[in-house]
Order: sequence, then structure tokens, then C-alpha cells
Amino acid sequence: MTRLKFIALSALLALPLLTGTLGRDAGAAEAKKATSIDELAKMYDSTGCKECHEGIYRDWEQSIHSRSIFGTGRTAATIKTTVAVGLTSWQYSGVKKPEDVQVKHLMICAKCHLPQLAEATDAVAKEIVKYCYIYTDPKTNDAEHEKAVSMLSKVCINCLICHQRNAITHKWVAGFPQKNEVYGSKDGAHADSAHPVMKKSPIMSESILCGQCHGLGPNFELENPSQCGTLYGSYLWAYRAEGGQESCQECHMKKSNLGHNMQSYRDPGMAKAAVDFKVETLGYQWRDGSKMVPQALVKVEMINRAGHSIPDG
Amino acid sequence: MPIPQQLGRGDKMGRGPYEKSGIIRDTGLPPNRPVLEKFEIPFPVEEVKKDDKVSRNILDNDMTIDVELIYLPFGTVESGKFSWHKVTRKVSIEKGGV
Repeated sequence: MTRLKFIALSALLALPLLTGTLGRDAGAAEAKKATSIDELAKMYDSTGCKECHEGIYRDWEQSIHSRSIFGTGRTAATIKTTVAVGLTSWQYSGVKKPEDVQVKHLMICAKCHLPQLAEATDAVAKEIVKYCYIYTDPKTNDAEHEKAVSMLSKVCINCLICHQRNAITHKWVAGFPQKNEVYGSKDGAHADSAHPVMKKSPIMSESILCGQCHGLGPNFELENPSQCGTLYGSYLWAYRAEGGQESCQECHMKKSNLGHNMQSYRDPGMAKAAVDFKVETLGYQWRDGSKMVPQALVKVEMINRAGHSIPDG
Repeated sequence: MPIPQQLGRGDKMGRGPYEKSGIIRDTGLPPNRPVLEKFEIPFPVEEVKKDDKVSRNILDNDMTIDVELIYLPFGTVESGKFSWHKVTRKVSIEKGGV
């Protein structure tokens, strides 16, 4: 009898230990899923970062990362088109109407525009789609329009995506990012009660960090692959393979002095730095038999100084 | 620009990210390789027939040429362009001569 009690007690003790081990290793994947945009926003709330990193936070607020599913409005419109033109027209998608959209469908967009959607229920996917439809509907009144923009701006690529969730690509080597940690350039304590542990990310200044979203080509891990950016593929095969040595961060953050307001074609400084542009002209008269043909020759020489093909798409 | 392949098959360009899966061809600027474009622009002339002989009069011996490199991610040139470089050149041809 005593032996039986001991075995039972051991089994009870082992269960939380096992759960604890899984939680430590698998990290975010084991957390409770968000059931609304508000819950997902709270799960990835990075407003506390502003207290100590005000300048960086302000820079980030200027970036498109800070409104990654709304964008300039065009991203929200494209999410709607993905549902209206793509998903609902495909025989085997399981989507007949916008309300049928699940997380797995929206990952076509969210893999990069909102990777934390993987930690949300289908209700959040439906909510995002609902607001994308409201935003793009010409019949939407101003108040509803404003609310749609506000809701779609609540979740985005913020501090905790790059500095926690996506801070480690090779999790079997470096471990799974934990909810109480932030990743940067060094190990130590971090003066934030929600994230008291600071860890050095092995990839924070490496292009592979950006490559997780800025694209190799078709995303074959999806049941129905999509393709948005192809920049990282171009960076690897057309730039690094030819001897290029700079990282995404060196050009888009450091040399540009843009920091966390990392921009591309919209920033005049990035545009000027991206392409050497030389123009030569010559006026001359060509003789076509007895006729003189006056012409201007314009020679344009361009050298793309970016670490990838321009434009991307 | 990279011309994305529709669903990774055939010769059609895909539209949205949801149906793009591949590249048919890329007309963009590759990194670190010079790309040279040449343009021939005719000066305005008028043809005059005199004594069964056609001759040409040059209407203007000077031309102002604007060369602009634009980035157009979406929309039309009028509404959506980002101007990256703009160069203006004056080109002239000689007056008179043999």
C-alpha cells in the first residue's frame, strides 16, 4: 500500500516537472492562445520598452514595421484581396466566405506581417479579415473606418517580434526564446519586470534575422504557398554569392542613420545610396542618304549598390 | 522588376502575393553590376518639298532632356512614383554647316 502511494505521488510530481520542461524548451508555442486582437496585442505589448528606449521606440514608430498589417492601407487592402480573390475562389481552401478564414489561411500574409498570429485562435484571423473588409469598403462611414485602422494598427512587428519571438532561428542549437527574455547584444539583467532577462542573440546583427520575413521565394511550408518578398534570396544568390559582405542592418540601420526606422525606397537617403546614376548626352546629325537626321544620344549608366536586386517583388 | 510566376507554373505573371510562386524573369538592377541604357531622341524637323526635292528644316537646334529614375511600387507614375534621381541636360546640334 505504501509503495502504491509512493508511485502515485511520484507520478503526480512528475507531471508538473514534465510540463515545466516542455514550457522551458518550447517557449511561446506552449502559451495560451489569444482569442482577440486586443488579447494578441496584450500578449505582445512592447509599450513598456519606450520608458528606457525612447529614441529607438520613436524611430520604430516611424517605420512600416509598426503598422505591418495595415501598412499604408495597401497591406490591409491586399489581405482583403487575398480572401476575396484568392481564398474564396479556390475549390479546396475551405473558405467560401470571409467568416470561414482561419489562422492557417491568413498565414499566407501573417507569416511575415504578423507571425505572432500563430499564437492566436481562428477568432483573431476572422477579426483581422473583418476589419480589412470594413477598411476597404467604400460604404464604410468615417467612425467605422477609423476604428478599422485603429484595430489593424494594434498588432504589428514590434520590439518583441525581433528581440524575442524571432530572435533565434536555430532553436535546437540556441534554445527557444522565452516570454521573460529579450534578446540583444549582451547577456545580463534587464530593468523590465515583464522581461527581466537579457540575452545575447546570435543573429541580432546578421541578415538571417531579417531573412525570416524578407523572403526566399515561395513559402513551401504552407498548404498553399505564397510569395511576397524575394529580397533575402536575391541577397544570398546575387550579392553574397558574388562577394558582397554587408548585412541588411549595416545599410538599412547604421550607414543610413535610420536606426529602427529602417526604410527602403521611401527614404531619399536610401534611394540616393542605392543606385549610382550617371548620364551622358551627345547631339549629332546622322545622314540617311541625302537626308540629315538630327538626334540626341542619351546614355544612362546605373550601378545598383544595394545588397539585392532593385526593385524587389 | 522580378516578374512573379502565377502559382509556380506556366507563362503568366501572378497578381497578389497569394498567387505568386516563382519568377518568370527579372528586369531589375542586379547588385554591383553596371547596367547601361541608351536612348536616341530625334530633334523635331519638318520636311519641305521644293522643285521635286524634299529637304528637312530643323525646327529647334537645342533640346532639354530630363532623365529621371523612378521607383513605382504601386499605382501610376502620376500618383505613386518615388523619384530617386533626376538629371537635366541641354543638347544642341550645330546650325548651318556644309
